[in-house]
Amino acid sequence: MQDSLEFTGETIDEAVAKGLKEMGVASSDVVVEVLEEPSRGVFGIGARPARVRLKLLRPPTPPRRNVLIEDAIDEDEDEEDEGDYHASLAKEISEPTEEGAVAQQVLTELLKRMNIRHFRVVVRRADIQENGENPPWILDITGKNVSHLIGRRGETLNALQYITRLITSKQIQRRANIVVDVDGYKAKRSERLEQLANRMADQAVRQNRTVYLEPMPPNERRIIHMTLRHRTDGETKSQGEGESRKVTIIPIQQ
Amino acid sequence: MERDLVEYIAKNLVNHPDKVEIYTKRTRSAFIIKLHVMQGDMGRVIGKQGRVANAIRTLLKATDNDKKHNRVILEIN
Repeated sequence: MQDSLEFTGETIDEAVAKGLKEMGVASSDVVVEVLEEPSRGVFGIGARPARVRLKLLRPPTPPRRNVLIEDAIDEDEDEEDEGDYHASLAKEISEPTEEGAVAQQVLTELLKRMNIRHFRVVVRRADIQENGENPPWILDITGKNVSHLIGRRGETLNALQYITRLITSKQIQRRANIVVDVDGYKAKRSERLEQLANRMADQAVRQNRTVYLEPMPPNERRIIHMTLRHRTDGETKSQGEGESRKVTIIPIQQ
Repeated sequence: MERDLVEYIAKNLVNHPDKVEIYTKRTRSAFIIKLHVMQGDMGRVIGKQGRVANAIRTLLKATDNDKKHNRVILEIN
């Protein structure tokens, strides 16, 4: 069997489901790469299906000792069986594991132990970074009841990312470059933060006084700093400690 | 569930996974998970300024439990 195949569908989920069925594997056996987001087009003109590539993983760890034999051969599509892998595939796959795939596996194992049901971890590579750094792998958790995984001010999400990165780094023996997201929360949040940053900087300059933003976690403060770093009419600084650390925008007299 | 989560994380962070031991105790107000690792592995499960331990606690809080214990306490020693 080929270890990487492409599938299409009306939605990403549909394309993935089709692929899993065709390949006869569970979603935890593959890393999903979104090649193209679906687009509806106008009145059906120019509509494009979602395109995904499913790549088989090397089975990570030996099955847990309490896994029943029936589980391994059961092809039930129930999401709760996500952890089982197709025993016969185990020998065929020898491709080296990659960062994104290992991280997906680790995150899946964590979520299962947190009793999260009906979720899927979609992996894709972030766009090329402005600063030329290696783009991270983005692991997006999607599903019915996953929004509580964000937590207050993204606290739970950040803990998930931190632990996933630690374990993945240990397994691949270098620092894993990954971002964990829930239903695109961080992506949307970062867009809003960029708008906020520009708006508040304009205000600081207009009123010629320092503007204090709400306390934010480090990754969000970073977005503010990065957004405003090219401005010559103001500068940003973080102040305060821990939970209450916040960005201030200080106007510069021209 | 909570126990499995702590066990999975601990065993994947330490250098001596075979020396990871977990004990649990249920009291009227809380579910206590005690994690023991080898002395040299303590730093890996606690982290600088307790960052790893606190991240584990955060995940425990978000864990769906059927029994709805009041709270889960993680002790590391």
